[in-house]
Amino acid sequence: MELIKKIFIQLGQLDRRFIFLLIGLSVLIPLLKPDWINIPIKTTTNSKIVFEELNNLKEGDKVLVSFEYGASTKPEIHPMSVAVLQHLFSNGVKVYTVPLWPEGLMMAKYAIEEVVSSDLFNIEEHVDYVSLPYKAGGEIIIRGIATDMRSIFTQDVNNVLLTEIPMMTGINNITDFDFVFDLSAGVPGNAEWVQFACDEYKIPLSSGCTSIMVTDAIPYVESGQIRGILAGMPGAAEYEQMVFEYLNNDTYNKYLNKEAVIVPGKATSRMSAQSIAHLLMVIFIVFGNISYYLIRKRKI
Amino acid sequence: MYEIIGIWCVVLLTLSIFSYLYGDNPFYKSAEHVFVGVSAGYIFTITFWDTIWPNLFGRLLPSYVKAGFEFDVSYIFPLVLGVFMLFRLSKKYDWLSRISIAYIVGMMAGLKFYVFLNSNLLTQIKSSTVNFSGTYLSIINEVIILIGVISGLVYFFFSKGHTGVVGKVSRIGVYFLMIKFGASFGFAVMGRISLLIGRFEELIEFSKPEYYYSTPVILVLMIVGLSFWSFKNNTNINKNN
Repeated sequence: MELIKKIFIQLGQLDRRFIFLLIGLSVLIPLLKPDWINIPIKTTTNSKIVFEELNNLKEGDKVLVSFEYGASTKPEIHPMSVAVLQHLFSNGVKVYTVPLWPEGLMMAKYAIEEVVSSDLFNIEEHVDYVSLPYKAGGEIIIRGIATDMRSIFTQDVNNVLLTEIPMMTGINNITDFDFVFDLSAGVPGNAEWVQFACDEYKIPLSSGCTSIMVTDAIPYVESGQIRGILAGMPGAAEYEQMVFEYLNNDTYNKYLNKEAVIVPGKATSRMSAQSIAHLLMVIFIVFGNISYYLIRKRKI
Repeated sequence: MYEIIGIWCVVLLTLSIFSYLYGDNPFYKSAEHVFVGVSAGYIFTITFWDTIWPNLFGRLLPSYVKAGFEFDVSYIFPLVLGVFMLFRLSKKYDWLSRISIAYIVGMMAGLKFYVFLNSNLLTQIKSSTVNFSGTYLSIINEVIILIGVISGLVYFFFSKGHTGVVGKVSRIGVYFLMIKFGASFGFAVMGRISLLIGRFEELIEFSKPEYYYSTPVILVLMIVGLSFWSFKNNTNINKNN
């Protein structure tokens, strides 16, 4: 018993660089050898709600997709951006992207490019999607989109006048959209979309956000102000899986190229590494607490 | 070729930031400074060309900017307020910037007051009520939420001492808050691990021959550089002693 106590006490005094190394290995090994660990992904209610909401959209419906993330949060949000865009295009929904973060402009471009280059759909710019440019102002821009979009945006990202884009005909404010999907990693993010636009004008909103934002966004989800939420990388993996199954089973989908190869998204392959690292963190926390308790008891 | 140079820069900067785990070092410092400089430059450029140029100058000089806006003389005011903001750099005239700040504060306060009241207060109060026509499980859930809301509010009520019934209710509020902090911590860990996975995935990808083994090559060079720096640092410390 004394030996076990001694081991725990010594574990508590472990050099933190050793812990960094272990965390690093717990992430690296599952990524290098994905066949070694295969943890199944279970779909949560909130991810299912998001899927159902987007699946209920009809052909020709207009969805505003807002990009509020950058390179630092790309691993969490980008896989869900691609999966959401695939899901929307597979139902013939018209997509309007708007970046509210400076880096969001690049992220929107990369997400669209990834979907276009996958050859899953025959989509065309200005016919199936429009990319709006970045405008500084955060919540003020959201408010502007809600009230008078044309006072802020007159051109798309390629400087083509919106008046020359047929897809933009009749789009003047938030009420002209059927749905808003927000991909956020901070402020402005889903809370600002709720407060400054969707709540007041009764436009349905769903969101995909970083893990760290989830606890702040959950009250909006519980009250129905946000319809479902994709929570960080696990949320992205769940959504990717649902879209992957949907595209594979939907053999009569007229928007889907039958020759194209449907591949599962990136977040799914990352989940094993995430789970192992979490397990290790839990072990560290348990050992750390036992060690702290024993050291404190010895001092007394 | 440019793509390969970009990828080598990505690997170098990622490993430089990771090198902080060893300790503060020149690689980390350089990467940090590059990040600050590039971010500031990128944000300034994109804000000017995507917002200030089309939305402000596009209305003051529409035939020159050609952003699709018509001439609007009222946009002189935001231009003046924007120029006033730049006077923060002058000690003599920095009071002018306070006019612009006052406008921003006043406008945002007014706007936020309404939206916060509507979305965060009224709707949240409404959603905290218990719907007794639901299932047993949903009623239990809603009762727990209601207890959490009330006890949490009591904890932040400081006009009465936290003794007796108030003390007990506020104690329950503390437990709810602790659960919230625990959940936030768990999600924060999850987010950080996700970002680590993202970086590792790219480093693994860039280890391939088509990228000229950028990750292992830079890693080895960095270890050599750090060892040399560490050795030199120790020598200097010994000399000073």
